[in-house]
Amino acid sequence: KISSAACGYGFTLLSSTTTDITKVWGMGLNKDSQLGFQRSLGDRNKGYEYVLEPSPIALPLAKPQQTRVLQVSCGRAHSLILTDSEGVFSMGNNSYGQCGRKVIEDETYSESHVIHQLKEFDSRVVQVVCGQDHSLFRTKKGTVYACGWGADGQTGLGHYNITSVPTKVQGDIAGVNIVQVTSYGDCCLAVSDEGDLFGWGNSEYLQLASVTETTQVNVPRHLPFKIGKIKEAACGGTGNVALTEEGNVFVWGYGILGKGPNLIETAVPEMIPPSLFGWSDVNPDIRVARVRCGLSQFAALTNRGELFVWGKNIRGCLGIGRMEDQYFPWRVTVPGEVVDVACGVDHMVGLVKSF
Amino acid sequence: AGHRLDTKASGVMVLGIGHGNKLLTDLQNCHLSKVYTVGGLFGKATDDFSDTGKLIEKTTFDHITREKLERILAVIQGTNHKALLMYSNIDMKTQEAYEMAVKGLIRPMGKSPPIITVIRCLQFALPEFQLEIHCLHETQQYLRKIVHEIGLELKSSAVCTQVRRIRDGVFTLDDALLRTRWNLQSIQNAIWDCQLKVKTEIEKTLAPEDKSDFHDAEMAQAADS
Repeated sequence: KISSAACGYGFTLLSSTTTDITKVWGMGLNKDSQLGFQRSLGDRNKGYEYVLEPSPIALPLAKPQQTRVLQVSCGRAHSLILTDSEGVFSMGNNSYGQCGRKVIEDETYSESHVIHQLKEFDSRVVQVVCGQDHSLFRTKKGTVYACGWGADGQTGLGHYNITSVPTKVQGDIAGVNIVQVTSYGDCCLAVSDEGDLFGWGNSEYLQLASVTETTQVNVPRHLPFKIGKIKEAACGGTGNVALTEEGNVFVWGYGILGKGPNLIETAVPEMIPPSLFGWSDVNPDIRVARVRCGLSQFAALTNRGELFVWGKNIRGCLGIGRMEDQYFPWRVTVPGEVVDVACGVDHMVGLVKSF
Repeated sequence: AGHRLDTKASGVMVLGIGHGNKLLTDLQNCHLSKVYTVGGLFGKATDDFSDTGKLIEKTTFDHITREKLERILAVIQGTNHKALLMYSNIDMKTQEAYEMAVKGLIRPMGKSPPIITVIRCLQFALPEFQLEIHCLHETQQYLRKIVHEIGLELKSSAVCTQVRRIRDGVFTLDDALLRTRWNLQSIQNAIWDCQLKVKTEIEKTLAPEDKSDFHDAEMAQAADS
């Protein structure tokens, strides 16, 4: 049973919490070994640059029959795999230290066997997030660590340089119990246990314009939106979405935000009418339960297991049966209850349970 | 015409009295969907798609699983979704489309072939199964044909054992009167109870010009009761 899926820029990771030896599968682009080394059947010394079907990814686990993989995340050309007792494993491109290890000049990433293990955190890591070329780690204690590319301030470490070792992020989230972090492009958001929202990184598209005119914010800032307690947030490339405790969906930033072609940009979150997710006087119990972002797409899952999508329909990734962009939430016909969805740049993966 | 139930079907049927007939016509023009529970039986095909028709064919059905059925249902829902958009005559790239979607008005507001907006499996116990179907501009016979076609898609055959309408626009089973309550008092109460939601739905959907006609009818009805 697949429990976690992640879409990177042209590749996909799937994982299961099984105690079997194979716990993670990958497919798609592998030019930077973001899927690990995939031994070619034709030539045992070569590795595949493209993986055409879900293929096992061998992890250097100390206890392969006990340790479980809890979550996977994918960025532009790197991947993070979270385990329950052996820390985090990183693979793929490390030109900016996004894999949490020292940058080696002129390192060749293609056909590489390197999988790095990260264990030095203040407590157990419970969530891993890949931004475009940076990585975020959230621990049980509510701390956030970051490494990788920092030109937009996406590492939140107070500078614009690269970082090759996961480092504790401070700013407005110092001492705050963070319960969720999200990123996919160069902007990052974090949600606290009290329902507050914090952001850092790229703000060229008004993502953080509500608190600063700076377009590159390198330290987490509290976003004092008056929209209610935040339950979950998701960052896309130019747009963000937040889900409140009441079940309302708010969008801000730039692009196709979900309120028709007229709303192209806003620094302040705007609510998407719940009727677009199926709520009505006839169906008053419908609530949005999860929100997700791809680079230029949004996805929302309701408590009835229905999937709604909107945004740019690159290569038909929205799955709505049409190739045109979708300017407001539209239901995707799926043969089952959608439990989770992972959005990429031009593809989407849904974890579905039979009705 | 569209709101009747044929002799083999059961369920909610809305009737109008006096000015209620005008309201009924207005409601028809709202093109609201109807919801049915449809019972099916795998293993045979008949000439009229129902279980009382002349037997044409018998087939095996042990290869059918709930998952396979749900896949077929998803395909049906998907193709109908496209038809919904096409007959709604709306350009999805406009702000107007967004405004209409928010109000729940993206649906064919004129003539269209039958369109299924939601179809899901409520129960599955081979050879029997039960579906819930939300549709527009349908006939009950069309629904029986869907059951027959589902049987074919699953490389078997199926007949329809029951078509029961559980919702007609704003009217649900709860609003419906059983035969034991077909008396003046119950009917009067029922008319009174649904007045508000009928009015709300008509106002929501119809254009302002139609509203003046509606007000006259309402005044007349109020005067009557």
